[in-house]
Amino acid sequence: METALLRVDGIEKSFADVMAVHGVSFEASRGEILGFLGPNGAGKTTSLRMILGILRQDRGSISFHLDSVTPTAPKERTGYLPEERGLYGDARALDLLVYFGELKGLSRTEARKRALDWLSRFDLSEWSGKKVEKLSKGMQQKVQFIAAVLHKPDFVVLDEPFSGLDPVNQDLLKEIIRTVRDEGAAVLLSSHQMNRVEELCDRLFLIHRGRRVLYGDLEAIKQAHGVHAVSMRFAGDGSYLRTLEGIDRLNLEAGRASFLLQAGTSPNQFVRSLPESIDVHALHVDRPPLHDIFVQTVEGGAL
Amino acid sequence: MKLAKVIRWEFNQTMRSKQFLIMTVMIPAIIGIAIFAATTAMGDEIAQAEPPPPHIIGVFLALILFIGAFISGIMTLYGVMKEKQSRVVEMMMSSVSAWDLMAGKILGLGLSGLIQVIVWAATVYFAASRFFPVSLASLTLVHWITYPLYFILGYLFIASIYATVGAAIKDMHSGGTVSFAGIIPYVPMMFAAAIISQPDRLLVRIASFIPPFTPGVMLLRIGATVALSEGTQSVPFWEIGLSLLSLGLGTLLMMRFATKVFEVGMLMTGKSASFRELWRWGIRGS
Repeated sequence: METALLRVDGIEKSFADVMAVHGVSFEASRGEILGFLGPNGAGKTTSLRMILGILRQDRGSISFHLDSVTPTAPKERTGYLPEERGLYGDARALDLLVYFGELKGLSRTEARKRALDWLSRFDLSEWSGKKVEKLSKGMQQKVQFIAAVLHKPDFVVLDEPFSGLDPVNQDLLKEIIRTVRDEGAAVLLSSHQMNRVEELCDRLFLIHRGRRVLYGDLEAIKQAHGVHAVSMRFAGDGSYLRTLEGIDRLNLEAGRASFLLQAGTSPNQFVRSLPESIDVHALHVDRPPLHDIFVQTVEGGAL
Repeated sequence: MKLAKVIRWEFNQTMRSKQFLIMTVMIPAIIGIAIFAATTAMGDEIAQAEPPPPHIIGVFLALILFIGAFISGIMTLYGVMKEKQSRVVEMMMSSVSAWDLMAGKILGLGLSGLIQVIVWAATVYFAASRFFPVSLASLTLVHWITYPLYFILGYLFIASIYATVGAAIKDMHSGGTVSFAGIIPYVPMMFAAAIISQPDRLLVRIASFIPPFTPGVMLLRIGATVALSEGTQSVPFWEIGLSLLSLGLGTLLMMRFATKVFEVGMLMTGKSASFRELWRWGIRGS
């Protein structure tokens, strides 16, 4: 991995007497998508705002390694899709994009050219002259996404980019986010849709109650977690699973079961423990989905 | 320059709005046509009307300028609140500085406010001229120089107050005590009659140097005294100079204060700020 584009070192922020972010550190590099996760109210948005220079941290340092090392990135080189969406409703979609492009340092003609390009990519060409408030929520969201990436930023923050989009558009957006990464940007993706995070992210960062609780390579995190997810279909009486040690989150129905094998129990051990009284039709063992790691980490407190 | 882009955007957006069309084109046009029709129909009956006192134009202009500055100031309140409530502000703050965004809004809306004031002044002048023999010649050089300055600085001061209020409150209905701050510059208008009749009273002269009151008081004082017939003392030049200086400084400080409140308040959507919080945000910036 090349040198990080963004280095965050021990940033802290409190509002009145509440500490929102508590010594958070991480790095993000070009050509990667870093999942930025955390339950509601964990300090995600506050952290993102500090990184983007909208808020100032009380303590700790942020450095961007672009042409030179700076504590805030030039606003022309960052793109931000905030979770709280909002556009100027009475402006026309194209005018709005040109305006945002210009504020991010593009010339008027260049901004216009790129905006038209992006609008057609999102199948919005015929809406370019319409007022934003006349667009559906999903369309507005796509317009706002375009505004975040129009100027080819080096560093992009996407907060819940998929919410409110139908599955077709979610897939389209997923491909586009990959393209943005492949063109060399560092992407910070914040989302509660764990399956999307798993599909897209190379590494991830989990913040809980203002502190970092998980950070690193997605596969490594799964491995370190040590847990396996098992699903099986069978004939016979599955109730013995209830008595088995080393099993979590058992979901048992007639003929099918799903559960987690705790860290101390290997898949081998489990297979050996299967009694003669049940007839296995299908057995699937895998690393646990990110969803489960998230829930366990957050509910069980810091690791 | 990002500031110039924000100004152009805000100006264009306002000029294209329906309210602007109604307030600045349709209503003045209707009033103008109605008065023209009415006075033409009345013919000679009004020709013998008494000529008005010579300072009437100055006073009228003062009132129009002040009310124009005040209404345009209130437009910034709406603009800032809309920006905050529509949440577009977060996107904007990741593109421009709080100063560029706020100053751009104030100046863009101010330019469209200026057009509005010119149109209204012309309408009133036209209407008055159909009844009285009024003439722009009764305005002196002092009017031409000081009126624009008091209007511009006054607008900037009032608009910064309203930008501060807009950034600090949650919505129109739960503004709390902070929203009363916007009334302060209007106070001189409540005493307009007294100021016009006694423009040289000590209390009035003192109020001229207190920035929130300066635009209202000075516009009225100059309107009431400069063009009076001989024997009346006009407002001394040093008072004009000092009041402009204090208003200019006050405007600078107010805009700085507003920017800091803007930086913090625009991203806080849960509740309205109290005066104490406002003070803390504006002075310390957090």
